[in-house]
Amino acid sequence: MASRALWASRAASYLRISVFHRGFSTVLKDLKYSDSHEWVKVDGNSATIGITDHAQDHLGDVVYVELPEVGASVTQGDGFGAVESVKATSDVNSPVSGKVVEVNEELNNSPILVNSSPYEKGWIIKVEVKDTKELKNLMDSEEYTKFCDKEDGNH
Amino acid sequence: MRVAQCLEVWKMGTINYLESLKLQEKLVSDRKTNKISDTLLSLQHPHTYTLGKRRTDHNMLIPMSQLKKIGAELHYTQRGGDITFHGPHQAILYPIISLREIGLGARNYVEKLELTMIELASLYGVKACAGQKGETGVWVGERKIGAIGVQISNGITSHGLAFNIDPDLNYFKHIVPCGIADKGVTSLRKETGTMLPAEEVIHEQLISCFARLFGYRSITLKESSSVLSQNEKIE
Repeated sequence: MASRALWASRAASYLRISVFHRGFSTVLKDLKYSDSHEWVKVDGNSATIGITDHAQDHLGDVVYVELPEVGASVTQGDGFGAVESVKATSDVNSPVSGKVVEVNEELNNSPILVNSSPYEKGWIIKVEVKDTKELKNLMDSEEYTKFCDKEDGNH
Repeated sequence: MRVAQCLEVWKMGTINYLESLKLQEKLVSDRKTNKISDTLLSLQHPHTYTLGKRRTDHNMLIPMSQLKKIGAELHYTQRGGDITFHGPHQAILYPIISLREIGLGARNYVEKLELTMIELASLYGVKACAGQKGETGVWVGERKIGAIGVQISNGITSHGLAFNIDPDLNYFKHIVPCGIADKGVTSLRKETGTMLPAEEVIHEQLISCFARLFGYRSITLKESSSVLSQNEKIE
């Protein structure tokens, strides 16, 4: 837990956002977010995709990641793989449509990276984006933070 | 957790594993499109071994030919978890519910499934507890009394929990149950000092524990004969 707080502080100071240590999840500023808790970082028409800190926290320790094949097509909002934690498999959806150009093989050896580093070492797939206009269907960091607050609201 | 609405309980009796898979697929699809509300299947299976998404075949200790001899089936599924056994006198619940509507993540959902079985066990004076990290399930000491294996698709659950009332525990000898080699399995019959009522009663108590823990405001009941005939109409 201490190392996570340290990582969060480092990420926060790098990105110049404030992190409130009230024990909830980190949201990074320059990413886009889906309502099923995946993030996407877009650079031209190249996208890196993973699940958010909120998602990994609600899942529990990830023991297995089912990755798609390189070359597979993904569609915005549709499942492309799954993670297993606490004897539960949960599907992971793609925030963008396109073609898978790389998968994070490291997750085969260390699926826990999804928990310990959801926005960096725990990235899941890289996609060649079909249509960047689709990004407008996603939330920015502020909208996603509010979305998470609302979802968790009655805990 | 937000207040859940109504729960529809289907009492299926003994149902073949593949049939239950087909039914769950349909119910998950209907739940996603809100054709149905949260639904809970209460049932038993005939002698069946199942594997999860990781396909941990190495934990099946006997060959297929011997499976046939002992009258058991083997099925591969997309649920989480390792290999397990289902059979008569084991109470199974398959909740088909929307986790998003009640604001639960996988971890909290599974914890509540564990609590459901822990509460049931306590009704019979059995002190069960949740597993340590990496050992999801319900334990009495070093012996497992309840197993969990769940699939979550677009926030809708399927598969669920299996609680050992009094199954033939010898069937567990043919596997490394849940992939944990150094611990045993047990049942309510073995652990309790009290007389067990008819199994129907225990099934209903399990359903009540579930409904109470998940905060459902109302429960409607569907007996298996009307369930099956409705299914036939759909197909």
